[in-house]
Amino acid sequence: MNRLQKAGLILGIAGFLFPLVVTFDGLSFPGHLALSIFLFAAFFWMLEPIPIHATSLLVILLGVGMLSGAGPIFSGMDPAVVMDTYGFKPGSAAAYVGTLANPIIILFLGGFMIADAAVKFNFDKNVTRVMMRPFGTQPKWIMLGLMTVTGVLSAFMSNTATTAMMMTVILPFMASMDKNDKFKIGLALSIPFAANIGGMATPIGSPPNAIVVAASARAGHAISFMEWIVLALPLVIVAMLATWWLLYTMNKPSVSEIKLKQNSIWDTSTKAILFYATFGITLVMWVTESLHGISSNYVALIPIAFLSMFSVMEPADLRKLPWEVLWLVAGGIALGIYMEETKLSDWLVGQIDWTSFSGVVILGMFAIIGLVISNFMSNTVAATLLMPLAITIGSTQGNTGLANPTLLALMIGLGTSFAMVLPISTPPNAIAMATGVVKTSDMAKSGILVGLIGIVLMLVFSVLYWNHVVH
Amino acid sequence: MSFINLEKTPMKPEYLIICVEDEPDVLDAVLRDLSVFETHFVLEGFSSADAVRDFLTASDAGTIHPALFVCDHMMPGTTGVDFLVEVERFGLAAGAKKMLLTGQAGLQDTVKAVNHGHLDFYLAKPWTKDILVESAKGLLTSFIRDNGVNPLPYMNLLDAEALSEIVRDDRRLTDR
Repeated sequence: MNRLQKAGLILGIAGFLFPLVVTFDGLSFPGHLALSIFLFAAFFWMLEPIPIHATSLLVILLGVGMLSGAGPIFSGMDPAVVMDTYGFKPGSAAAYVGTLANPIIILFLGGFMIADAAVKFNFDKNVTRVMMRPFGTQPKWIMLGLMTVTGVLSAFMSNTATTAMMMTVILPFMASMDKNDKFKIGLALSIPFAANIGGMATPIGSPPNAIVVAASARAGHAISFMEWIVLALPLVIVAMLATWWLLYTMNKPSVSEIKLKQNSIWDTSTKAILFYATFGITLVMWVTESLHGISSNYVALIPIAFLSMFSVMEPADLRKLPWEVLWLVAGGIALGIYMEETKLSDWLVGQIDWTSFSGVVILGMFAIIGLVISNFMSNTVAATLLMPLAITIGSTQGNTGLANPTLLALMIGLGTSFAMVLPISTPPNAIAMATGVVKTSDMAKSGILVGLIGIVLMLVFSVLYWNHVVH
Repeated sequence: MSFINLEKTPMKPEYLIICVEDEPDVLDAVLRDLSVFETHFVLEGFSSADAVRDFLTASDAGTIHPALFVCDHMMPGTTGVDFLVEVERFGLAAGAKKMLLTGQAGLQDTVKAVNHGHLDFYLAKPWTKDILVESAKGLLTSFIRDNGVNPLPYMNLLDAEALSEIVRDDRRLTDR
């Protein structure tokens, strides 16, 4: 355990005990209990004395134990009495545990099944090969091509796996380049940056998106798969082009031609074809939700069921799915529920008079805080910690105007994805850094610029676009 | 271990490359050629198989992780092949890759090393530095793949393409 982790352990335990011994005015007893869990989780998630998904499970465990009717505190009490005394109905343990199978978790599971099957059949590599063709051999267009493909793939697969795959495409070429060619740096940064940005394009693109969808749904607005794309894709495209231009002008090539060697071939086995078909059906169902009305969350059961049924994904493949990501998100959703049910978030938000701020200022503030802190911690954690506050502020503003819950949630979720200043900001950045081509200072310089572009773009989009379609 | 941890702290080498060779001059040459790996691995030379055995059995099993054995065959005491078979049979270094670097192992010994010692690589003396380093790189990359080691810290030193492939395939890292 390093020093930060030790500090996290001590602060987490102290934070947990603090509300149990100190009484805050205006905060109910259940609110104090939720504050305990919040402070514990915040320190543990931020400083990571234990893995973040383990903290998430502790959040669920603590919620069941301390806030639910099944726990030792409220199990012996008549719910009506609890309601009269604290203005709080003891939580449902089943609902708390149920966050592990929240509809958005099922959507992600469906996404994971598709992404892992894609890797299994080299679908990602073949898509890359085909999509790179029109981009020719000029370095400028090659870079745009690589970023486009990375963006498309990371919208459906994990940003990390996409980055790793794309690295195998550019590494052989980078090795053949001149040592001092700055374009190498540009290329090595373009992949993780495009993956981080591409992850914003669909609800399943990146875990913080799940926190956004779950929070917005609880605030009364369920964002559909297609609605997310309609909202986020234009931003993704503009941000991608800006990042491309930035990385290209900052790292001009000394070569005039780039030839990428790729020798993958389409898998035409029966299982692979069943996968292509399942993916196709799912994708069509996802984007046509407005026509058939079946929630994309439940459409995700199609790949889960079909890919299992046809043994396209075998038990060994299922064991390899990134379950810990689902747990991480579930714990985040659970914490949001505790804070809302116990009115802790109302109390926290009530500490500041928000009416004196305009909607744009509130949106900007959350986007900036989200972006800054997620450079140092998991994007999902950053989104999780800010979300209950933002949703509450959005609701107190009367669900109208700029600072409505959905816009605030989007701002935070997308803001965290724009965090790419440091190698530790996101796993894709860490991969680029590990190749040894990029120095931290290169990454920081470009990452800060992309972050600034992201904030400005998000605010412009909020005022000119999102505000008019989301209410 | 958390992701941040692995990336932030300057990496402390925890895996060993163990070289066994009875002739001091030759051992020096092997160690010199393999010194490129010292940034990421602990490089240890031994003059006999028995010395390595003592080292492995005396040290705390949880703290010593051999990643690669580079072993001569003809040595006083236990021969290289017998030693590699012993390592395999008694699980002295689970997961470690094994290279035989020799001029004198006959066919029968070599077959024995392959069949019973899980020999991964045979390099005949005299060797060139390039070939030794390249084969060691390949073996260390396989070690990382087969033993669930986080590939990122090694990308700069070993086969970066193969290590990227491991990240893609194995989901050792995911979005967070």
